[in-house]
Amino acid sequence: MKVSFNWLKTMVDLTGISPEEAAEKLTSAGVECEGLTHLATGTNLVVGEILQCSPVEGSDHLHLLQVDEGNKYGIVQIVCGAPNARAGLKVIVARPGAVLAEDKKIEKGTIKGIESDGMCCSLLELGVDRKYLSEKQIAGIEELPKEAKPGDEEVLSFLGLDDTVLELSVLPSRPDILSVENVARELSVLFERPFKEETKTLEGTFETAYAPKSETPLCPQFSLIEVRGLENGPSPLWLRRRLEGSGIRSIDKIVDIGNYVMLLTGRPLNMYDADKVKGKSLTAKLATPGPWKGMDEKTYELSGKEIGIYDEENNLACLAGILTSDEARVDEKTKNVLVECAYFDGVAIRRATVTLGLSSDSSTRFVRGIDPTRAERTLGYVATLFKELCEAKEISKPNTYDEIGREKTVIPFTSDYINKRLGTDILEEEIVALLKRDGLEIEKDGSGLKAIVPSYRLDLKEACDLSEEVIRLLGYDAIKSTFPKMELSLGGLTPYQQKRRSIRNFLTSRGLIEALTYSLVGEKEKDDYAYFGAKESYSLLNPLSPERKFLRKSLLPSLLLSASYNLSHQNEDFALFEVSDIDGVNYQGEHLAIVALGEEHLMGRLKRRPYDFYYVKGLFEAILGILGITPSRLAIAPLSKDEAGEDFHPYRSVKVSLGKKTVGVFGEPHPKARDRYGLGKTPAALLELDLKALLEVPTGNKKAAVPPRFPKIRRDLSLLIDEKVSAASLLTAAKKASALIKEAEVFDVYEGKGLPEGKKSVALCFFLYDETKTLREEEAAEAMQKAEAALLRLGAEVRS
Amino acid sequence: MEEKEIREAALKAIGDSKDLKSLEEVRISYLGKKGSVAALMARIKDLDPAERGAYGAKINGLRNEVEGAYNQKKTELEKEALEQKLKEEAIDLSLPGYEFRQGYRHPYHLIIDEVTAIFADLGFEVKEGRDVETEDYNFTYLNVPKDHPAREMQDTFYLEQGGLLLRTQTSAEQAHAMQEKFDKGPIKMICPGKTYRRDDDDPTHSHQFGQIEGLLIGKDISMADLKGTLELFVKRMFGEKRSIRFRSSYFPFTEPSVEVDVSCAKCGGKGCQMCKGTGYIEILGAGEVHPAVLRHGGYDPDVYSGFAFGVGIERVAMLRYGIDDIRRFYQNDVRFLKSF
Repeated sequence: MKVSFNWLKTMVDLTGISPEEAAEKLTSAGVECEGLTHLATGTNLVVGEILQCSPVEGSDHLHLLQVDEGNKYGIVQIVCGAPNARAGLKVIVARPGAVLAEDKKIEKGTIKGIESDGMCCSLLELGVDRKYLSEKQIAGIEELPKEAKPGDEEVLSFLGLDDTVLELSVLPSRPDILSVENVARELSVLFERPFKEETKTLEGTFETAYAPKSETPLCPQFSLIEVRGLENGPSPLWLRRRLEGSGIRSIDKIVDIGNYVMLLTGRPLNMYDADKVKGKSLTAKLATPGPWKGMDEKTYELSGKEIGIYDEENNLACLAGILTSDEARVDEKTKNVLVECAYFDGVAIRRATVTLGLSSDSSTRFVRGIDPTRAERTLGYVATLFKELCEAKEISKPNTYDEIGREKTVIPFTSDYINKRLGTDILEEEIVALLKRDGLEIEKDGSGLKAIVPSYRLDLKEACDLSEEVIRLLGYDAIKSTFPKMELSLGGLTPYQQKRRSIRNFLTSRGLIEALTYSLVGEKEKDDYAYFGAKESYSLLNPLSPERKFLRKSLLPSLLLSASYNLSHQNEDFALFEVSDIDGVNYQGEHLAIVALGEEHLMGRLKRRPYDFYYVKGLFEAILGILGITPSRLAIAPLSKDEAGEDFHPYRSVKVSLGKKTVGVFGEPHPKARDRYGLGKTPAALLELDLKALLEVPTGNKKAAVPPRFPKIRRDLSLLIDEKVSAASLLTAAKKASALIKEAEVFDVYEGKGLPEGKKSVALCFFLYDETKTLREEEAAEAMQKAEAALLRLGAEVRS
Repeated sequence: MEEKEIREAALKAIGDSKDLKSLEEVRISYLGKKGSVAALMARIKDLDPAERGAYGAKINGLRNEVEGAYNQKKTELEKEALEQKLKEEAIDLSLPGYEFRQGYRHPYHLIIDEVTAIFADLGFEVKEGRDVETEDYNFTYLNVPKDHPAREMQDTFYLEQGGLLLRTQTSAEQAHAMQEKFDKGPIKMICPGKTYRRDDDDPTHSHQFGQIEGLLIGKDISMADLKGTLELFVKRMFGEKRSIRFRSSYFPFTEPSVEVDVSCAKCGGKGCQMCKGTGYIEILGAGEVHPAVLRHGGYDPDVYSGFAFGVGIERVAMLRYGIDDIRRFYQNDVRFLKSF
């Protein structure tokens, strides 16, 4: 909200206080000043009178002017291109050395070979906002009124343009600030200066026949006066400037008076042309649905939830609190006016502004909150303006419909409470004095105090509000830091959080890059890679776009989109991971996902290894290790064709289960998934785990292993076996064959040239020992024979 | 051959040996069982017994000298041979090392980890809450009245599944924390979490962003305690020289409410481009917990009081790391992620 500093100065004594100081103090007290602008800027200006104006040869628009700049500067020659330059005109001259708006500097110059000693200005060049200027004023130089004296250097002051505008940001808790009067009040409290309230009022001379009525609780108060026999027309300069300093364009006297009083008091008014209102009553009630034309000449479709002011013939004269109708509006010819000062329910007004997409300075105030009292005081002041400016012949007494309670808010409190809440030691007398200066009445209440809140402070309701009032006015520097005094308690991460942290640490130490993706996805991704967790996604009622309508059920699609983004930006060879909450209907989980694309660099680019199934398998096994989960507690099995769908390569992916629950999937993507996500033929590996399920698996304490006392014997076997037989089955069979075989591992696998069709060569190593004694050769040989027999049963052929 | 000549020849042969193999041959020829020195010693039987002692000593002396020279040479040659072997094992040291490099943490998580560490050190618990909340926890229990503009459809994401929304602030966790504390005793907690607002994405706005909430409830907790606690946090997070200031503001769930500014790290508070000449940067919102919020949490505001604060994760990361656009957090371009 814009506030004119000059206007504020008429209500509070601000001598010696600059607009910048006022702005700073207001800001720290919670009335933030976001910027200061000037209505106009210009130095070295002087009023001049054009004595002579002759066309310049060779130009169709330039004139040579002889300008009288008064006694000090004499008569000066200026070349001017304005269409309205003529002899006898009083103008604004910017003398050489002048600096105008946007830092434009004026120097002595030569135009078409003729010396020009300055420039005649339009208000636009002085920085006046073009919305306040007429077409004529924009197209040419400013024509000053006859009273302007050549030589007068206080040009901006003469024009009322020497004003600073404070741009205030109004907090939702301070709707009272939407009134210039209250801003002045605030300044008077902050700077401890006297405040002069506007008390001008006019007693009405007759009882008006017009009656305000209300048929809805949404309008509990409605006052009006009738003004007869007025002359409308353009407003005087002082009024126009006050409005411009508040960011509002002057229209005509009637409209301007309404806006002016609204700006001053914060109470919106509405003006009706009395001769266009049918009958003698104005009734507030819920609007009839249907189209309606406002005075902005636009048609609006009313829903029936809006408040309307209807005349006796049921014409909608005004969309209450928002806009007058096209029919009942005032114009240059208006002679008789009805002025409405009413109270409308802010919630209803806000709903209407939202559904109609229409708001106004009035509606904003109703929505934020209005002081419901003093409607008649407001109308009394309006009356004086109509008398003074419009020569109104007769003004009525106010006619009021009023259902609003007059109870003032009373807040019991103690200075002890205030100090405890703030952590300060302010004397009670100081607190009382401060609140009194702020406009509250303070009285003793038993052993405590009570504050009676002025009607315009809608935000002061309980004692905590008073504590804020005290400290914001005193200044927060009054608070000295202390530390809370509390009992000892344990904080920090829970075991679950610690385990999760160790997994993130592990992954980053292994070279993976942590990613952060959006939770909202579109129709395309929402059902991909959904192997565990929610069956149904949450969806938004009011999404910003269809690509962000659903809460994801799984992490892989989001990571795949990020991976794909990277690929298309020439980034290659990377592995991303993310840990995130996943929310779905009846599901609250936390997942870990990994997407690895390209090749792992093992020694710069010299040694590379494509990301594949074994990469994510390795990470998975390491994670189990970190969590202390023995692999045998989980079942790992290949994904069925159905399960793999078009997400995973059915022969290069597995599913991990804990009992009946799927807790993980990992492997390589299905070719169709590669297409969907733009992965091309780049080597890729994916993994997603139900991290919550794994972090919640109970694990026992570590138990120390006793190193065996007796040496072990190593025996190797080389087998020729069917390609489809898994290494794990060979190892299991061999180990089962003899208790002496403690460890068995595959150390070579060869599939290729030189072998029979469908066969592979596998080399296994076995470590045998006996805990109780040194193993003898014969015992080892016997154990190996048993192992060989078991392997033969699987179809293996022992090679050596 | 005479002993003198043998001595000279032996020493020369030893000196001339170029490698261990030829040195060994020299050793055998002079010091071996059938070598020259042995041959000299053998002549002792041709001498008078009286002369044998002196002769024996002389030959032994020769043997020792030659052996000495031999050992020295052997050591030298062994050294050279070793040196040669090592030289042949030379490699190109400029090639890249095996990849043990750390991966990268996302800057969003770096900030959370850092803030969490500071408050964990102060005994704060870490709660997370869920992204999906009910209207009550996100608004009602935070003293946001039913018709408050913040509840508008245009600002909040409501779910088609009734009564639910995506939380707009981590303050929603405050009511959970209070309601879940069965003994209704003191609370010290922070809540880092994802929050959502119906904002079009641009360089400074994102429909999804992160916040960290702090809540401390106890007896006689004041704004002065808030100031002290935040100062501790700010100094640890942004540097020992930092100071804070409070500016009056408004939140429905605190009263008094303040915006908290931190003195600019770049200019120390003098004013520069970073802080737009003010010397301060707005980082946190905070205040004394509103009595209505305490009541909703099951706490008696006459017995308990507390303060709360909130900080935007991306905002802090953007200031600290000079990130130009909030959307970068969610783009995950590895070139960006690798800067952290």
